[in-house]
Formats: sequence, structure tokens, C-alpha cells
Amino acid sequence: MRRRVVITGAGALSPLGDSPAALHRALAEGRSALKPIELFSLDGLGPRRAGEIRPFEPQAYLGDRNLRPVDRTSRLLLVAAQAALDTSGWTPEARAEREVGLVLGTTFCSIKTIAEFDRRGLQLGPSHASPLDFANSVINAAAGQAAIWHGLRGVNSTVAGGEAAGLLAIANAVDLIAAGRADALLAGGVEELCFESFVGYHKAGRLAPEDGHPVPFDARRNGFAQSEGAALLVLEAEETARQRGAAILGEVLGHASAFDPSAGEGSGAAEAVARAIRLACEEAGIGLDEIGAWSASANGGVKSDRCEALGGALAFGDRAADLPVVAIKAMLGEALGASGAFQAIDLLSSMADGILPGIAGLKTTEEGFPLGSVAAETRLADPEALRRTLVTALSADGTACALVLGRAE
Amino acid sequence: MSRRIVVTGVGLVTPIGSGSRGVWDGFLAGRSGFAPIRSFDSSRFNVHVGAEVPDFEPEEHVRRLDPSRLGRASQLAIGAARMALADAGLDPDTPDFFGAAGLAPERAGVAMGTTSGEPREVERFDDAFLAGGIDAAGPELASRYPCHLIPAHVARELGFAGANVMLPAACAAGNYAIAHAMDLLAAGRADLMLAGGADAFSRITYTGFARLGAIAPEKCQPFDRNRKGMIPGEGAGVLVLETLERARARGARIYAELAGYGLSCDAHHMTAAHPEGDGAARAMSKALGVAGLRPDQVSYISAHGTGTPTNDRLELLAVQKVFGPDGPATPPMSSVKSMIGHTMGAASAIEAAVCALAVATDHIPPTMNLDEPEGDIDFVPNQARQHRVEVAMNNAYAFGGNNASVIFRKVEA
Repeated sequence: MRRRVVITGAGALSPLGDSPAALHRALAEGRSALKPIELFSLDGLGPRRAGEIRPFEPQAYLGDRNLRPVDRTSRLLLVAAQAALDTSGWTPEARAEREVGLVLGTTFCSIKTIAEFDRRGLQLGPSHASPLDFANSVINAAAGQAAIWHGLRGVNSTVAGGEAAGLLAIANAVDLIAAGRADALLAGGVEELCFESFVGYHKAGRLAPEDGHPVPFDARRNGFAQSEGAALLVLEAEETARQRGAAILGEVLGHASAFDPSAGEGSGAAEAVARAIRLACEEAGIGLDEIGAWSASANGGVKSDRCEALGGALAFGDRAADLPVVAIKAMLGEALGASGAFQAIDLLSSMADGILPGIAGLKTTEEGFPLGSVAAETRLADPEALRRTLVTALSADGTACALVLGRAE
Repeated sequence: MSRRIVVTGVGLVTPIGSGSRGVWDGFLAGRSGFAPIRSFDSSRFNVHVGAEVPDFEPEEHVRRLDPSRLGRASQLAIGAARMALADAGLDPDTPDFFGAAGLAPERAGVAMGTTSGEPREVERFDDAFLAGGIDAAGPELASRYPCHLIPAHVARELGFAGANVMLPAACAAGNYAIAHAMDLLAAGRADLMLAGGADAFSRITYTGFARLGAIAPEKCQPFDRNRKGMIPGEGAGVLVLETLERARARGARIYAELAGYGLSCDAHHMTAAHPEGDGAARAMSKALGVAGLRPDQVSYISAHGTGTPTNDRLELLAVQKVFGPDGPATPPMSSVKSMIGHTMGAASAIEAAVCALAVATDHIPPTMNLDEPEGDIDFVPNQARQHRVEVAMNNAYAFGGNNASVIFRKVEA
């Protein structure tokens, strides 16, 4: 018997604010996270703007414990985890008594730490490479650092998956709790903005140029804008939450994922999106017509946005004409491993206040665009209509994940 | 009633050879995979031995994708995946493979683990960048490096359209991936999963362990009083997992049942295990609980056994916390890292295959290079042994304080 999995906390550290409420406000106002990059020098390289968190002063959130062994990716995570734990009421004492774990989505963890470790060894000789950096060079380093910092003794899992990693991590955590493998888990994602990944995406032609249009679903879109941050939910078994007397913010009703093995040929990715949506609703035990809003993964990518829209249309059929769709990456940018968790957290905010952020900058969609209800302007929905909502994530490498959220009743 | 999950095939790409039962024979024979490093110049290091896969030709295994466009870990993973399918009596190259196998592509998934993913792509980037700046660097950090491409490449090569997951839980990653696949199958999210781990030998990993002073100069001697460290290696291990019902229906040979797992975190230190073996013991106890077994029902433990002074000492502490302080209370326990070194993200997947084969064949591989054992536990020194293996436990520990134990047991006829 699968156990019900509820949401009892959320933490978000983004370039648009350091709490779910601040993020929601900024998204509703259509504010853009993009600003000139100061984290690293670009030396004349193409685009110069990204969603950089600046200023970022982790001590303001974490106190004066020694942060030296902790790199930027882990620092972002520590802050979001602190906030999520605080809102959920899982105190350090409670965490010492019962295991709380972490399932973390990321694409790169810290490719910056890894590459700098390697370059130092190359330039000065292997005996000058830093052992401290090596500890942070594994892809589960941030999850490990968060476990040490916050005393998370339960399952400690990292899920890599490009743009889908954060949502896959939440889905994985839901299954661990539903099957009784864990009672309480932090779940979400983290990604830092850094020189190495930025150069990679630029050279791969994935980033919108400096004067480009990283606007989801817009006909002029020509790539995404890179962003960063950390976002975590606290998930727990309903009975655990009730025993603790915790406030329940929402429920995960179902999820599913699918893969397109065609490497982007044909309609495989759209079919994977459609399959994930259908299966997630089936698991949630609801009809697709009960979904009140859909938070899409679209980020301005030419092909991936089209596939996601087509996939939604395949799944929803006629309903695609009037299902409200939000795409928060229009404002936030693409935070990779953290994105799906940002989407889920902001959708929870929308379910509470009915405010559906617009897709800032959206002017025209492509001919034959199959989704009828996308808007540049922020809309106010009847919260009653948002009792069940959908989040999807689609990675450019073919993984689609869908998650159905339910409002706390 | 949750579905029972069994192992019906294994594929191994290791420093002592590649295949399935052939590699198993190599383990039982105590073969050694240590040799001077070939893939990079080690002259600036004070250690020079590694455990590289010596004879892997990507073109033999990567048939549908272009091998030259894949990182080495992806190539090794595809090799191991194909070997595992072949071992399970499944040939993905036959026309109408899915129809013939009674398998929907959407119900066939891949779960992989890794420590470093494709570190050679970082090295490629760094070499180019240091030589010629941004202009000289390519797109590899976005197009070839991200580790989730490893299961994606396996699935593209085989046409698998089900769940596709990468769990980079460092040196416990193989066990994490196998545990996740078990849950996907048990929950009915998939009918067949390829699960395991892969890692490529790299300058970065070698530099790191060298800086920690953790590398042994010649050989790996787990649980020996004079052990001098681990030896970095590379490889891939993949298991074919499916439901017992499906395996029986297609008349598959079943190696073992995947009976349970336990995951925990020390929450103590990034690179050193908990001083009292706390997290490791909790992982073992959880796994036994899920499997519904008592410690005295375990017939064999495949140890993490890296050969570093600290790991092996704390691992023994943790094992004795669960199995009792008297040496004989702990079942025979051996480490194949004494033969193939530490293959990182592949290690616990390869060792999971060892457990499944130990259960299937009632043989236990030895701990090689063991002259003066630490304590009175039976480490199966230097010689494989015939031994009834009802239940095998696979232990893995990792950077970040990760612990993962997975249990395999015999399936009734």
C-alpha cells in the first residue's frame, strides 16, 4: 500500500528572491533575473547576462560556522535547505532523533570546483592540487555537505538529469516515502552559474545570444538564458506530518517519467512528455480535465519548447485550448538541476493565491502552436480551479518528467 | 503485494577482462588488474599504478550510436549493458527485439550510477583552455560531460524508452542505482531495468586520491595489517533486473533475487567514514529489515574493502556492530578490489554482480594479497572457496558519507 506524501516545507534561493514568497512576487511582476555576469570574466564571449544571485552572503543565513570547506554550489544548497527545514519545523533536535534525508537534483554539482582542481594540478603539479577541492569534486558533494551541515542522516541521494533533475529528484523522494523507505526527505535541486558550464552551453549553441530572446514558446526564441539557485521541498509521509502537527502545504498526488531514445529525431520527445503527463494523472487517480494549471519546463530552446508544447497538446487534447500554462523560466532563466523544484514551489504559491505568473516577453507564438492559454501578462485564477496542478520538466537529452500536485485539504 | 525482483544477467567491463561468466572465473582465479598507468603521463606523481580496462574496443559494443561522440564512461556502460542483456538471453540487435521479448520499450529503463561521470571531458576542456583560452575550448562540458548522458546513451543505443536515471552517489552509486531500479520495478513503473554503474579512469581522480595519500604503490591489500591504500580503477557493471514473474514466464535463468536495500548518510565528514561506523551499520540493518532477514542468515558479505588503512578499520567496526563482536559471527567477507582496484561508480555494481553470482554458484571470490589479516574475521584469503550462499550482502561507502547495502538471496526452484 503506497503511503500518501505531503509537502510540509519549502525553501528557495533564487536570483529573484530568497524565499518562495519573494520569488512568487517577482515572477508575478514579470521581473527578469538576468543581469550582467560578475561571477566570472567572459573575455569577449557571446552573451553576457545570466541569472546570477548577487549579492550572495551565505553567512547572513547560516551564521558564522566555517564555510571554507564548502563551495558555492553547496552554499546555495545549504541556504535553501535551512529555509526548507525552518518552515517545516524539523528542528535539529528532531533531526537527531529521527532520520531526515535528502534527494538532490543537479546537472553539474560543481564543475567549477572539479575543473579548477584539475587546472591547479596541471599548472603547479599534482602535489599542489587541493585535497579540500577533491572532496567537493564528486557529483554528490553538495548533498554530502548539506547532510553534514544540517545533520541529515537518512537517504542521501543525488539525481542528475539536466533540466529534469530537480523534478526527478522530487519524484524519487516521493517514491522512497510512499514505499516506506523513508519518512521525511528534503527534495529538489541546486545549480550554480559558473564559467565552465556557461562556456559549454555557449559553445554548444544552446544559449540565446546577448540580444536574443530566451522567451519560452515565443516564435523568436533562440536559446535559453542560464540561471542558478537552489530549491527544496520538505516531503514526508502524511502520518509523520500529522504526528508532528506540521502544517501541510500540499500533496504530491502522482508522477511519472519517460525517455525519448531517438536523440531528438521526430516526435519522440513530445510523445515522452505526453506519456509522462498521462501516467502521472493516472497515478494521481484524476482525469486530465481536473488539472487547473500547468507549469511547463519551456526555457526558450527552439526544439525543446516545441516538443513540450506538442506533448502537452497530445496529452490534453481539446483541453489544451484553454488550460492555463505558465513558464517561469521567462523570468528566472534556466537553473538546470534546480528548475523543476522552482517550478513546483512556485506552483504551490499559485495554488494558494490564484496568481499565475505571465510569460514575460511573449509576443507571438509559432504558427500552429497548440496551446491556447499562454499569456505574457500575469493572470488571476480562481484558487478553487487550482486544486490539482501539473509540473513538467523536459531535458534536452530526452527525459520527461511530470508531477501532479494537490492542494492541502 | 509488491513484486519480487530478480537478477537474470550481468555485464562486466573490468581491469581483469570483460564479459559475464568469464570475468567471474577471473575473480575466482584471483586474477590481478594492476598495471602502470597508460592513459596519461604519471611521471609527476609518486605513484604510477592503476587499474585500467586494458582491452576495450568501443566499436565492438557501440553499434547504433557513433562511439567517437561518446565519453569513455558511456562507452564502457554500453558495453556492460550489451553483455548483461546477452547474459540474460536477450539480443537487442534481433529484428523486433521488443516484440520477441514481450517487452514494451516504454517499460524498459536504465538506472546508472557514477562517481565522476565523464571526467576526461573536463580534462579535455582544461587542456584546451590552458593552451588557447576560451577560443580553443569546445562544447564538451555541455555536450559530453554531464553524467546523465551515460544512461541516456545506453537507452539510445538499445531503444529503451522507460525511466532513465543517473544517480551519481560516488563510490556507492552502483548500489544506489540498483536500489532505485528495484523500487521502480516493485512499484510497477517498469518491467525490465538495466541497473549499474560506470566510471572512466582519469587524471583528476588519480590526482585527488594521490593528494589524499590514499594510493598504494603496487597492489591493493584489503584487510591486511600492512595494507598501503587503494588503487584507482575504471569499469562498468550492469545487472538485468526484472520481475520474478516475467523471468519465469520467459524461462530465464535466474541468478538471485534482489531482496532489499538500505541507504544512509553519516552526516559526519566528506571523505572519512564515521568513527564508530554509525551510518554503515544503519544501512546494513535497514537492508536486513527490508529483506526480512536476521544477520545470522547472511552467508557472504562483499565488502567495500578499498584497502586504505582507515576504510577497512571502520568497515570492520560497522560490520561487527551489526553481526556481533566475535569474529566467527561475521560470515565470510571478501573484497574483489584486491583484484580490480577501486572502479569508483562501477565498483558496487560490479560487486553486486559478484553477490548475484556467488548466490547462483555457491562460490566466494577471494581477498587477494592478504598475508596478515586484521582481526579474526574470515576474509577468504587468497583462494576462492566453495560455500553455500543463501544470502549475500553488498556493502558500499562513498564520499559525502553515503552508505548503501544491497541484499541478494537464492530463489526457490
